Amino acid sequence: MNSYYAATLAVYAGVDIIACIALNLQFGVSGIVNFSFIVFQAAGAYTAAVLSMPPDNAYGGYQTYIGGLQLPFPMPWIGGAVVGGLLAIPVGLVVLRKLRTDYQAISLLVLSVIANSVITNARAFLNGAAGIAQVPGPFSDQVDPLAQSYQLLYVALTVPCVLLVWWVASRIVNSPFGRSLRAMREHEVAATAIGKNPVQLKMTVFIVGGVIAGLSGAILVGYIAVWAPSVWLYPETIILFAAVIVGGRGNNVGAILGALLVPVGFEEATRMMPPTIGGWVPPPNLIPAMQWVAIGLLIIGFLWFRPEGVRPEPRRVFEGAPVREDPERVLKS
Amino acid sequence: MELYVAALGFGLISASVIAIAAVGFTMQFGITNMINLAYGEVMMVSGYAAFYVNQAGVNIWVAMIAGALAGAALSYLLNRFLYTPFQRKGTNLIGMVIISLAASLMIANLMLPLVGYDTSSYVIDQGQLLRWNGLVLTAAQIAIIVVAAILMAAIHGLLTYTRLGKAMRATAANPTLARNCGIPTQRVISVVWLITGALCGVAGVVAGMDSENFSVASGAGYLITIIAAAVLGGAGQPYGAMIGALIIGLVTELSAAAIAPEYKQVVAFAILVLVMVLRPQGMLAKRGALAAAG
Amino acid sequence: MRIQNVSSSPDRALLAASDVYRHFDGVLAVDGVSIEVPKGKITGLIGPNGAGKSTFLAVLAGTLPASGGRIIFDGQDVTRTPAYARARRGLVRTFQLPSEFARLTVLENLLVAGPHNRGDSLWGALLGKSYWIGDERRLVDQARGLLKRFGMTAKESDYAGTMSGGQKRLIEIMRALMLEPRVLLLDEPMSGVHPSIVVEIQHYLQELRTEGLTILMVEHELHLVEELCDSVTVMAQGKVIGTGTMAYLRQQKEIVDAYLVG
Repeated sequence: MNSYYAATLAVYAGVDIIACIALNLQFGVSGIVNFSFIVFQAAGAYTAAVLSMPPDNAYGGYQTYIGGLQLPFPMPWIGGAVVGGLLAIPVGLVVLRKLRTDYQAISLLVLSVIANSVITNARAFLNGAAGIAQVPGPFSDQVDPLAQSYQLLYVALTVPCVLLVWWVASRIVNSPFGRSLRAMREHEVAATAIGKNPVQLKMTVFIVGGVIAGLSGAILVGYIAVWAPSVWLYPETIILFAAVIVGGRGNNVGAILGALLVPVGFEEATRMMPPTIGGWVPPPNLIPAMQWVAIGLLIIGFLWFRPEGVRPEPRRVFEGAPVREDPERVLKS
Repeated sequence: MELYVAALGFGLISASVIAIAAVGFTMQFGITNMINLAYGEVMMVSGYAAFYVNQAGVNIWVAMIAGALAGAALSYLLNRFLYTPFQRKGTNLIGMVIISLAASLMIANLMLPLVGYDTSSYVIDQGQLLRWNGLVLTAAQIAIIVVAAILMAAIHGLLTYTRLGKAMRATAANPTLARNCGIPTQRVISVVWLITGALCGVAGVVAGMDSENFSVASGAGYLITIIAAAVLGGAGQPYGAMIGALIIGLVTELSAAAIAPEYKQVVAFAILVLVMVLRPQGMLAKRGALAAAG
Repeated sequence: MRIQNVSSSPDRALLAASDVYRHFDGVLAVDGVSIEVPKGKITGLIGPNGAGKSTFLAVLAGTLPASGGRIIFDGQDVTRTPAYARARRGLVRTFQLPSEFARLTVLENLLVAGPHNRGDSLWGALLGKSYWIGDERRLVDQARGLLKRFGMTAKESDYAGTMSGGQKRLIEIMRALMLEPRVLLLDEPMSGVHPSIVVEIQHYLQELRTEGLTILMVEHELHLVEELCDSVTVMAQGKVIGTGTMAYLRQQKEIVDAYLVG
């Protein structure tokens, strides 16, 4: 296996894991159906881009965008995370307060479509449909981005981020706070009856998820060096939902598993496919289209047969608990 | 000023297209309490069904029937084999939304290899240009408005004067009670999906006629304005959807004239957000966005 | 289990509603209801179906906002206070339909209701186990005490969703007790419960009253109301049509005609 490929795989896996952990916090643990998740990743990516790029009249001005502050690492990544969190505030305040959950979900879905449309049309803001290219990655002025050493450097930068996100998410999920989130997910009205403030809980998780999503975008954009509306269309969120549903809701191991099985697994499985099948050359766009069909089937299949996912939410047993007399009774979602 | 009067005309056509679609959409919500996110894709598929019939030399107005049939069939199958089983299983509202989203994704991506990525257009004779006080509309565009009016009247007639219509309203209001009164709710629901599916189909064809071209990607775009109109009018309220469609159609076209055409959907979205924040139950609904914490 | 003492004259109303209205679907589900719930007593709320009892209970608890009128809890106007804040102050409700946290264990259902847990915030969570383990252990002991008292120790690690109807009822009551409430609003606590568990619940409620807890109970079974409640309010069509002991109410012809049978 050549090392470029391995490094690319590792970075993509890292970004996907981070994104899935965040979405799992929002959806799996807290029950917030954030159909606009990809917008927060995109916000982080755009922020990291405009913070690390030179002013837009450089390179002969073929792109127009705001910012262009040419800040060194780690500012772009921090900026991306912060903007992801900031964006969650107005969105959350509008959507998460009084609406029933399916209305929340479609509002966020519509937001995702509209945001993409607005950015595409407002060319002066973030260079519209063409997007931003030639985004410098961290330390790309000191290490040649095309060299193998840069690939390894990037992996070395990504891994600590993954560990940090995993650490934060674990602390949240395995704490009394996480328990309150899960209770809210199970029965929001009953949660208010025992003193939980659902708006506060939802906003907290929405913002934390936004921060993590923004970070994932910042990491990704530094690696692939471009970011355009076509990269963050609304179905991208659905891939992440499929990942969380398949891997296992409500727990970080499930989220990681889902990230490896779905976005990473899919990419790799289709790369492995032969260019011809028994002499027939499939049309160039058939494979991506079939990938989407497969994603849809995965979601529907798992929700029917195994809604709790490959690795379900673990049962919490406390020290000193009596031995359970009943045989294992698995609770279907 | 002429620009705005012309925009008014476009607004009426827009409203007609949206109304046909939104009434179907909101009735599906009213009877099954689910937001069918695959609605836009069914419109798109119906639009293509009519397209192929149109390509074979049939007049687009007749091909519209093919679209209606395609919409009815696809909607019925979707409900029978996907939505109902999951609902029987006890899937919650959110699960149903996710499933309909997955379905919409699958439908769109199954269509892509079949019809390709390029845009298509109908062969349509626009007919005479008719002017009246600054309004400029072709005969075909006026025909669209007439079709919408006829369908709205038909729906009104169905709901108010027929036994089926009364059964539909009873089932939507309280399914258990309706069943206990001897109404065959399962069959009523199936019929509703056929009728609303046909509306969806006609809407898909009319939407294709109203825009210069359409493609597989059009489906998602339709959905947003339809949701905005349905929520504005009150979820599950057909008359509300008609009013919502009129408002959305006029406001988006007028603002397109005032600001820029690319932002039409943004305006619809802004209206949706305003409604959600200020009056989530919409204009006419009694229960709606605030109903039992989902 | 500690019941907080409220220093006041013996029969002062800990909870009072004054002329409360609630619109719903264009109908007045609660039509000018006033009630006083005296401290340390069990008050019953009865009436035919559709009388608005559950709606009124929800308005008292804050789950539904009042369309008019005032609600006073321990001398403070809580009409505008959201439900979660009322619960934190000691005004706690249970539900008519099962509302356990299904995918949490029985113990977790109780723990999550425990107030004053330093780990129950984002920062508390990030500071880690060593920060909140003390509070957690205290709550585990408190919860296990309740489980023992209500006879569900063996079910501690079972998912609440797999419990029977009667067990879910008990879980809900225990969950409410974790909050150390001052007033408990019970919405048909015996409905759908096996008769043997009904006797248990009855027994617990009497114990709780002896310990000083104030209870308002919506209930259909008149013999239970007779045995448990110190006083009863009767509602019909959104209005109060009578208040007093069951014996007194049985003598009021209008009330007997409207509701009581035999």
